[in-house]
Parts: sequence; C-alpha cells; structure tokens
Amino acid sequence: MAKVEKKKKRQRPILSNSIALASKRKMKGKKIKKVASDVRRRKFGPHLPSSFMKEMGIQKPSPNSSDLTGGEEEEEGEDLYEYEEAIPEEETGKNRRYDAVENYEYELPEEFEDEDVPSDENDDVSVDDGDDAGVDEEEEGEDAGEKHVRMLQSITGLPAEAFEGKGKKNVTLLDVHGDMGPQHVSIYDFLDPLHGKSGYSKLRKRVHQLEREPMAVSAPLPKVEREKLEREVTYAQSKKEITKWEPLVKRNREAPTLLFNEDLDLAVPTVGAIAAEHRPRTEFEKKMAVLLGDPEVLEAHTKDGAKLLELNKISVKDVLDRHNHLAKMRSLFFRHEMKSKHIKKIKSKTYHRILKRGRQKGASAEINMDPEAANELARKQEFKRAEERMTLKHKNSSKWAKRIIKRGLKAQDEGTRAAIAEQLQQHALLTRKMNSMIENSSSDETSDDDSDDFSPGSDREGVSKLLNKAKEKTIKVMEEEEDMPKSGVLSLPFMERSVKRQREAAREEALLALQEYEASLGKHDEKGDEKVPSTAQTSGKRVFGGAKSQPKELSRKPKSPYNSDSESDFEARDGEEEQKIEDRSQQAKIGSLLLPDEALAAQNKICEDLDDIAKIPASKTTYEVAIFASDTWRKIGSENSQDNVKIEPSAAESPVHPNSDNMVHDGNSDSDSETEMVDGFISSVPKSEYELPSQSELIRRAFAADDVEAEFEKDKMDTLNAENHEPEKPALLPGWGQWTHIQQKKGIPSSMIEKHEDEIKKREEALKRRKDANLKNIIISEKIDRKAEKLHAKSLPFPYTSKEVYEQSIRMPIGPDYNPAISIGALNRPAIVKRAGVIVKPIVYEEIDPCSKLDEPKESKKIRQKQNRKKAKVDGRKFAVKS
Amino acid sequence: MGKTRVDYKALSTQCKKKKRRTRKRKRKLMEGGGNLDWKIGVMAHAPAREGKKESKKYYQNYIRERGKEEEKIKRTRILVVVIFDELDPKSKRYLRGEGANLEVLRDKKLKGQLSIKEKLYGQSARAAAMAEKWLMHAEHGYLEAEGIEKTWRIKQESILTEVDIISSRKTFDMFLPELGPYKLEYSLSGRHMLVGGRKGHLAMIDMITMDLVKEFQVRETIRDVVFLQNELLFAVAQKKYPYIYNRDGTEIHCLKEHGAPLKLQYLDKYFLLVSINKLGELHYQDVSTGVIVVSYRTGLGRTDVMQTNPYNSVIGLGHSRGKVTMWKPTSSKPLVTMLCHHAPVTAVAFQNGGHLMATASMDRKIKLWDIRKFEVLRNYVGYAQSLDFSQKGLLAMSNGSHIQIWRDSDGNNDYGQYMSHSMVKGYQVGKLRFRPYEDVLGIGHSMGLSCILVPGSGEPNFDTWVANPYETRKQRREKEVHALLDKLQPETIMLDPTKIGAVRPQRKKEKPSKLEVEAAMEAAVEAAKSISFKNKSKGRNKPSKRAKKKEEAVLNAKRSFLELQDDEWPMKKPKLDEVSQLSKSLQRFARKKPS
Repeated sequence: MAKVEKKKKRQRPILSNSIALASKRKMKGKKIKKVASDVRRRKFGPHLPSSFMKEMGIQKPSPNSSDLTGGEEEEEGEDLYEYEEAIPEEETGKNRRYDAVENYEYELPEEFEDEDVPSDENDDVSVDDGDDAGVDEEEEGEDAGEKHVRMLQSITGLPAEAFEGKGKKNVTLLDVHGDMGPQHVSIYDFLDPLHGKSGYSKLRKRVHQLEREPMAVSAPLPKVEREKLEREVTYAQSKKEITKWEPLVKRNREAPTLLFNEDLDLAVPTVGAIAAEHRPRTEFEKKMAVLLGDPEVLEAHTKDGAKLLELNKISVKDVLDRHNHLAKMRSLFFRHEMKSKHIKKIKSKTYHRILKRGRQKGASAEINMDPEAANELARKQEFKRAEERMTLKHKNSSKWAKRIIKRGLKAQDEGTRAAIAEQLQQHALLTRKMNSMIENSSSDETSDDDSDDFSPGSDREGVSKLLNKAKEKTIKVMEEEEDMPKSGVLSLPFMERSVKRQREAAREEALLALQEYEASLGKHDEKGDEKVPSTAQTSGKRVFGGAKSQPKELSRKPKSPYNSDSESDFEARDGEEEQKIEDRSQQAKIGSLLLPDEALAAQNKICEDLDDIAKIPASKTTYEVAIFASDTWRKIGSENSQDNVKIEPSAAESPVHPNSDNMVHDGNSDSDSETEMVDGFISSVPKSEYELPSQSELIRRAFAADDVEAEFEKDKMDTLNAENHEPEKPALLPGWGQWTHIQQKKGIPSSMIEKHEDEIKKREEALKRRKDANLKNIIISEKIDRKAEKLHAKSLPFPYTSKEVYEQSIRMPIGPDYNPAISIGALNRPAIVKRAGVIVKPIVYEEIDPCSKLDEPKESKKIRQKQNRKKAKVDGRKFAVKS
Repeated sequence: MGKTRVDYKALSTQCKKKKRRTRKRKRKLMEGGGNLDWKIGVMAHAPAREGKKESKKYYQNYIRERGKEEEKIKRTRILVVVIFDELDPKSKRYLRGEGANLEVLRDKKLKGQLSIKEKLYGQSARAAAMAEKWLMHAEHGYLEAEGIEKTWRIKQESILTEVDIISSRKTFDMFLPELGPYKLEYSLSGRHMLVGGRKGHLAMIDMITMDLVKEFQVRETIRDVVFLQNELLFAVAQKKYPYIYNRDGTEIHCLKEHGAPLKLQYLDKYFLLVSINKLGELHYQDVSTGVIVVSYRTGLGRTDVMQTNPYNSVIGLGHSRGKVTMWKPTSSKPLVTMLCHHAPVTAVAFQNGGHLMATASMDRKIKLWDIRKFEVLRNYVGYAQSLDFSQKGLLAMSNGSHIQIWRDSDGNNDYGQYMSHSMVKGYQVGKLRFRPYEDVLGIGHSMGLSCILVPGSGEPNFDTWVANPYETRKQRREKEVHALLDKLQPETIMLDPTKIGAVRPQRKKEKPSKLEVEAAMEAAVEAAKSISFKNKSKGRNKPSKRAKKKEEAVLNAKRSFLELQDDEWPMKKPKLDEVSQLSKSLQRFARKKPS
C-alpha cells in the first residue's frame, strides 16, 4: 500500500501533496498531543533533588533506548497504571486549539493506524523538516527503559511521566540543541577532550556551522500561507494541463469552418433495438423479466406449443372467481346504465332543476374548498363568454327567436315574452364584462354620425344645402390631403417637400373655394349680408390656412400688372400669371391624386374667379402689392433654373427683350405642362421651363468662351453653399431692449458672434475636406444617396477593427462565376457545418503540431482525426487508470 | 475568330515560338508521368517472376531507374513552378488589388481566417490566369510599320489585299443618299447592326451573313437608335417620342413620357433605357417593368452628347457650356460636373476600363481625362464630331469626312495616330462605332454606311457567357432569363462600384446617436460625481450639504444633455391639432379623432 502511494506521489505531485496533508493531519493529533505533553513536562517537570537527577542522568540506559519513548508506550502505561489523563487535551476541546476533524481522525481504528503510521512517519520526517525527530521516534519493546521507570516510580512515588520526561531530556542532551536544563551538557563538552588532536579544527568548524544554522524546527505554516502555496502548485499544474489544449483551440478558432457531422451515425433505432436495451426497473418489470427469462418458458416456445399448454394450467377455483367477478361487474354496469337511462327519461323540469342545483351546490362547495376548481370555473366562464360573443346565441339569433320577433312581441303570450327576455338577460349575463365598452364606442359613433349628418343647418334651402355639402367635401378633401405616405418614393424628404408644396397650393385653392361657398352662402342668407367677398375678408380667412404667405402672393399677383408701366410687359406677365395658376391647379390635381369632381369644379371656378378679380380695378391692397411686385418676381426667377436667371437681369435692363423671351417661354411652358399631365409623375425639381435658344442666346453661345470659367466658379460656389450652408449672420433680436436701444448700444451678444464664427470655421473645414477642394473646374457632389445607403455597411462589422482590412477582404467576388470549383466551396462554406439533430460531442484532446498549416486537404484531415480519436481513446484509458 | 487574319507583320514570331515551347513542355510532362507509372508497375511485379539473383540485379537497376525518374519528377515540378511564375503577373490582375496587411491586425482569429481566405483568393486568381492562358489564346494584332513607313499611311485597300477572304468581306460601303445622315449601333455581341437614317429609314443587318433582317420606314425624323437587351428589341429616338420596335419592325411601345429625345442609351445590366430630350431632361426607364425610374432636368440646356461609362454605367453628358456632367438615377444633381472645355462639347467617349474619358469640343481641342482623379491626361488640338473607344482601347474620331484612329502604343495613355481613313469629300460622318469582337469600325455618314478594318480594335476572345455572336435561339432565351434574374437595381449605379458593401461614408453632419449621447451623459455624470469639494467652514460642511452639492452637480451635468435631446424633439413633434388651427366657425366640421 505504501509503495503504491509513493509511486503515486512521484507521478502526481498534487495528489501526493493532498495525501501527505491528510496524513499529516492524521498524525498531527498524535504529535500535538505528544508535543503538548512534552512541553508540559519540560515546563512543569518534577522538581527533584539534584542528586536524584544526577543519578537518573547517569542511569540513563543507552542512547538507543532513550529515543524510544512515545505516546504509544505512554498509553500502555496509562492502561497499566490507570493514569488520570485518559482524555487527551484536544479531545476535551477546552481551548479550541484543535480541529474537530483531527479528533475524528484520531479515533480511527487502531489497526488502521498501525498500518499507516510507520510509513507515513518517514514521509513526514522529510516533509516536516524532521520536526521533533527525537520525540516522534517510538518503538515497541523498550523493556529496559520501562522497567527502570517503574522502579523509579515505586521509589519516588511520582507519576511515571516525570521519569519519561527525564528520559526525554536525556535524549536532548545528546541532541545538538541540548540547551535546556540547568546543567546541560553541550557538544563542546564532548569536543573539548579532542582538543589538539588531528581533525579537531575541522570538526569544530563543522559544529560552528551547524550551530549557526537555525536548527530549531519552525512552526507549521499558517493556514493562509499553506493554502497559497497549494494554490500556486495547483495553478502551475492546471496551467500545464490546459496549455496542452492551446493548439487545438487555436486550430478550431482559426478554422474557416468547423465540421460537426463527420462521424455521423444516424442509424434510426428500430423497435427491436430499443427493446434490446430495455432493463427492468420496477418490481413489476422485474417479475415480468423473470417470467420471460424463465428457461422453461423459453424452451416451451422454441419447441412446440404442447408444453405451453401444460404450463398454462389454471386452477378451477381461479376460473370460478374470475367468472363471478366478471358477472358481478357486468350486472353493476347494467344497473347503472338502466338508472341513467331512467333519469334521462324523466322530463320533469323541477326534478332536473333540483338536480342541477344540487350539482351546482356541490360545485360551489368545491370551489370554496379549492382554488383549482375555482380557476377551472373561471376559465369555463371565460370560455362561455367568448363563445357567446362569437355566436351571439342568446341574442335572438335563433330561428325561433327571429320568428317571434318577426311576428311581433306583442302578439306573443306572456310566457314567450318572458322566455325571450330571459334569453336576452342570459346574453347580458354572459357578456357582462364587455358591455360597458361596447356601449361607449357605439354611442360615440352615433354621436359622430349625428354631427356629421344633421348638424349643419338641416332646415335651410336646397341651394345652401348644396353649397354646404360642397364646402364640407372640400374640407374633407383638405383633411384627407394631410396624411402623407410614409414609405416609398414619396416619403423621401425632397418628395415630401414638393408634395407639401403642391398640397399647399391645393389647399389654397380649396380655401378659396370655401370662401366662394361662404360668399354665395352669404348671398343666400339674409344674415350673411356683411360677408361681402373682399380681399380684406380673404386675409381674415387666411388665419386658418396652413400656409400663410402663399395666399397673399396669389391674391396679389394678378393685380400687380395694372400698376406696371409698360402695357406689353403686363400682357406677357398676365399671361404668365394665368399659366402659373393653371399650372398650380394642375399640380394640385396631381398631388392629391384623385380629387372628387366637386373639388375640381371648385378649382376651375377659382381660376375663373381670380380672373374676375383681376379685372376689378385695384383696391387698397393692390397698392402694397405693387411695391412688392418686383421683389416677388425676382424670387420666382431665382427659383427657376439658371437659364432663367440669366435672362432675368437682361429683362430688367432692357424692356424690349423680355417680351419675346417671355413669349417663347409661354409657348414652351404650355407644352411642358402638357407633358407633365401625361406622365403623371411628380418631379422633384422645382418647376422650371426650358426655353428654346433665342437669337441672343445663340449669339451668346457663340461668344461664350470668355465667361464660361467664371460662370462655372459661380456654379461651384452655389453648389458648395447648397451642400454646406452658409451660416446666417447674427442680427439684433426683436423684443427685449429693442425700444430702448439697449441692444443697439450693447451690440450683438458675444455668444452669438462666437457661435457665428464657429459655424464659419466649421464650414470652411468642411469645404476643405471636400474631394473637389483642390480640383479646379470640378464639382463633385457630396450629396448622400439615401437609396444607395442600403448597399453599404452601416458600421464596421464585428471582428474587423480597420476599415481598410475590411474593404480589402471583400474585394474579391465569391460567386460561382468568378471562382473555380476548388475554391468556391471553401469560400462560401458557413462557419459551422452541422446537421440538425446531430449531437455535438465535446472536444477531444489530440496531439497537434502547432506549426502545421490549417488548409490541408480534407481527406487527410479526416484520417488524422480518426487516428487522433484512437489516440484519444488510449489517452482516456490512461487517465482512467491514473484516477 | 475575332481576329481578322491580316498579315499584320506583327503577330510576333516570338509569341508563336513561346507557345510552341510551352506545348512541348506540356507533352514532355505528360510523357514523363506516363512512363514513370508504367515502369513502376512492371517493377513491382518483376521480382516475383525471376530468380533471386536476377531480382537483386533488377533492384539495382530499379533503384537507378527510380533515381532518374525522381529527377524527372523534380524537373517537372520546377517546370510547373516556372509556369506558375509566368502566370503570376496575370493572376495578380485577377486578385483585384493587394490583400490587406494582416500584420496590423491584433485579432489572431480574424488574422487566421483572413489569411486562409486570402489563400483561397490566390487559388482562384491562379485558376483564372491558367484559364486565360489556355483558353484565351488568341492575341489581338495591330499594324506595324517598318522603317520610315507610317501606319496611318496604310490604306484600306492595301490592308484588304493582305487579309483573308472572310475578313475582307467585313468591309463595305453602302450608298444611301436619300434618307440622309445615318446613325448606327451594334448589338452587344456585335452580330447585328442597326441603322437609322435621319429621314426615317430603319434597317437591321446581320453582320455575319450580311442579311438584311428588316428594313422599314417610319416617315419621321430619327435621331438615334439603340439595341435593347438583344437584337429582338430596339429603341429609336424619333421626332416626338422614342419608340420600341421588335425585330420584325412592329412597334411595341411609344414612350411618350420621354418627350422628343435626342439621344438614347441602354444600360443592359440594369435594363434601363436612358434618354435625353430636347428640354435637357434625362429620363431613366426600366424596360423590364416599364416604370420610369426617374427623370431629371439637367438644367444645362439642350444637348445630344450622351455616353455611358461601361465600367460603372454612369451617364456622361456633354453640354454647350463646355461642361461634362455625370449622372446616376438616384441623384437629382450630377455626381460630377467638370468644366472640360470653353466651348460646346461635341463628343464624349469612355474607355472600357472606366477610368479614361475623351472629350471633344468646338474650341478645337480633344482632351483625355483620367476620371479617377478628374485630371486632364492629354490635350490634343483638333476637331471631332464623334468619338468612340474600341474594346481594346483604340480611339476613333471623325471630323467632317475624315476619320482618325488613335492608339495608345506604349500603355501610358499617350495616344498617337494609328490609322486614318478619308471618305469621299463632302460626306459628313455622323457616327462612329467599333464593332464588338471584330476588327471593324462602322461609319454612319450623310451618304450611307461604311465599314473599315481596324486591326487590333476588337477583343479577339469572346466569352459566350457575356456575349456570343453565334448564339442559338435557345441560348438567347436562356440568357434573357438569366439577365433578368441578374438584373441590378438602379441604385447600384455609382461612381465607384467597388464601394458596394464597404462601410458607409461618414455623413457631413453626423448627429450623435442616442447611444452615444447616453454614453457621453453617463461619462459626464461620473465626472460630476467624482468632483471633490473643498472643505468649507462650519455649517456648510455638513454631509447633507455636501450631498446636496454633489446632486446638483450631477443634475447640471445631466441637464445639458437633456436640453440637447430637447432640441431634437420639436422636429418629431406631431402636427398641431387641426381643430385648433381651424377658425371657430369651421371647428365643428373637423373630423373627430376616435377616442
């Protein structure tokens, strides 16, 4: 046993360590006890007269025998002399210095101890730095010493312990560190006689050396330290264990694909296979197994059936019993059946009611008793409610109920009425929970309908009614326009903007139509006399319009020409105005794709109306308009395309040219709007008309060479401004301090200026960062293509940390058109190949050459894995042996 | 086949020799391999048959032989390596650029995976190079002058006398004086030619059999013609609208939305028909679904200079103000606007590789542009009404009745005159088109059509998966379906198509995302929490006061971020209640919201 253990120690230090520890602990109980007694002995050793002591010192038998004193012997002694100290100190547990476990171990059977102790002691000596070597050594059969002690005891009457202690002292005397006791003999006493002889100095030196070394046995390490050491060792060991997996793990991590279905064994288990694996577990099964496995029965089966019959013998009594039992059961069943039939036949309602009540009572009692039943009931009721709501069974939907209602409830007798009422009540009961909500919603709806249908003066004349209707419809249309499509092309911001613009225009129209209606309504109404259609009125009405600036323009524009000087100009402009308006209305038509006819008619009306208004001589508002007229013109011009812009200034300078220009423009726009109508496609670009090149244009084109570059520069600036907006200049704030000129005095707040400067700086940086910053005569649009955004990765995919690496890694196509068959599979294989349902087995250790390359042909890999599996199996076996 | 069998004096003998050598090597290789196997097989059986003594001798022999064979194997291996080395520059081309520098990566797992991937890429590139070597054997030739001879002095007649009959048949002159200047277009495979006379003459010709497939009159001005997916359909830009006809001359569609088109282009991978009309509007129409994908006003005036960049399908337009703009269907503004000339641009052409553009203008300049850097590469003096790049990069230009063909002789985009051809004086050349996969240049002029031989213009090896001049009907059908399945969406058109899949470019004004804001706020709060306050004098140093101060600091830190979030909210705020917007008299008509 000891040998085996030693072997183990050599192989696996951890285990040996732990074992050693255990044994140490085991031993410690003893040792400590011994030490303790020793100490006691030393401290409170008997105060004997010095003569006695001397005598004992001399009488000490021999160095050999003096060593052999110990607990074992002591115990024997105790047995013999019935010494009081039967319970060791640690067992009493008075001062809690000893672990309970140690005690426990101490109580192990003696023979076990005897077996273990000697061998372990040897180990211990080596491990524990030979602590109290002298004390530990104990051997049986120290007859001489024992006798001597007994003799001394008899003489002195002192306990045997005292003398043993003495014996111990004798031992220490010979020990190197024999420094206790008043008259101890030191090593020098022995050395002195040798003084002068050869080799003395050597010996002396050696002794000195020995002395210098701390020979005192150090106390066992504290628990924390010990555990720390243990942990260190364990860590080193486990690290070693784990690092051997490293290449394996590395290979798996770097592998492009992990195959888990290599050793696929998907044999479908047959019934036979399952049955073969069956092991009887329960009593019954075991009995069956015994019966089935009975060799006699088996034999009978294998041979003919005659033997089986023999085996099948049954006693007459058994048969009779069975027969009787069956008969009894049958009769019972029959009676029960008859009874239930009888009950079913009973037509008395009272009986059934009573029965039902009794049942319910029982059920309610049950419900009160246990929550499960209550739950069940609740669920049942819920179900019933749902069913009722689904089928409306009790809501006069049955044939019978319908018939009765058809005939009229009054015609029925009381009973029927009551039945119907009851039914309805039942329905109400069943659907009680929902009732309140249903009522709510229905009432809401009805009220809504009411307000819609009847509220706008139902008692007016037909015309006003019609007008009202039209008005309502327009309002409705206006409201309907509001919901914007949330997806698709129309949801794009610029689309939205354009649609909004169109809607605003349409709204304008609609509002005007509303005014119209109201005006005509006013005519019909006696009270509505004050409501004379006027521009002031329109401005008043504008309050509820979504767009506030547009209507002004619209209402003003037509009037502006009258204040202009040249008649020809006015003509052209007028024409254009009409054009514009028409355009707008068409746009509106397109925008709100399907307007009802009324609205269309209304819009047309508006146009006519506007014309009418235009012909009415100027009113007060026209005056202001005239002032703004030129401004608005310029604005429109700037909105239009570049070519228009170019024409504008010339138009301003020479009043002759624009005439022709505009004429051309008119013709063009006409055709343009036509095309617009045809395709029904909402263009995102603001409306701008292209003009056929006029003579002047052609001439300019011919001599264009000079200013092309400047023009381009201007274009570039424009695009830069469009893409990186120029920050607005800080201006004085309206409001606080404006009257008192405090703001003017203080100037613009510094924070605003700072902000402005910051923005300017930012813009400049952004301009510098542009791709075309250093390219003259090139504009590269930095507009972000939202549609193409989905073709880009939103952010860097996970394992990548640098954009370059990622983009390089996707540079090659991986499709079958661009790759040969040998690499297409490997390029596109998923990271893990595993068939559904296959159990992924835990990783098995295998030897891998860490330098080996990964991309080896598959077959070899498979073979290698097979080999490895074998190896692994062997390894596993080894492990099993070891553990 | 694509190569006209002209004795170009240039199909260098060296090249031929090389080929012969490699063939020899190959044979050797095969022989060696075969012998080896056979011998070993015999030897394995030999000892059993003969006596011991003999067998010993035999083994000695065997070993000697074996040594020789091994040497042979070694040699063959070296040969194989040599072949691979030869392929290397070619395979590099197929690698599409260098692999990423994996040394930078710190993630070992990724590194390992990428290196494996890189190896696979190398493998397929090598395979492609091999395929090119063995399958695309034909090389394009070119004219080579000796001594003081100049290639551009060689006349068509002298070339014709040298070439084989089939090639000589490819040239012709068609005299069609009535229906005036002709536009022509080849189908993608180069098999069919579509001809449109200004005054309404339309004809489709099979260029291999020289059959007239269909000829008819539309009795309207024809401004441009273009083939659609295959020769079954073609689009014609007529007086008012573009029309689509089938091969039998039946009008299939009239595309009224386009207006009066001046020029048509077809993007075959996207199924998009692009037109520019008189008003300078650019229309993209999907011919597979019939939807107008988008239409833009260029706002740069009328132009009939439009050309597709074959590399990225970006449309290039030349304008009267000397500008060239590039368009894609998903951007309402031009991607790039270049001021190329100081006078109206007359012609634009793009090279197949997609990074070279040629522009000509009325200011008597022809410029070559690198459109990766948007820089002028070369600046030549001359007029050109029409420009076209061939598949192999020859540049043809016409001026009046004169045609010049330029060639990049030493591969650094230094184009020099290569050939020239003059029509009869007075003929106005309208359009030049190189025929794909043939060394032929088609010329449409005011008095009919002409075809001349231009050695080295066409790609000699055609890929039947891309374009097959000898396509059968079944193949054509199959291909049509495949093309439809592989149709690309219009948004995939971009200046640099290799950027698809790459990380989205950073926005100019990147709003901090919610997470980022939260993170920043947390950091600020942490910072505020960790502020240590000075010890204040009595009373103000109470723990409660300190706690309060700390709390305040944290709140302050939070507030700035909350305000930041507040700023964004108004944008998302729902519209004002409609009811409240309406005037009092109208409020009762407002639709009530369901509660």
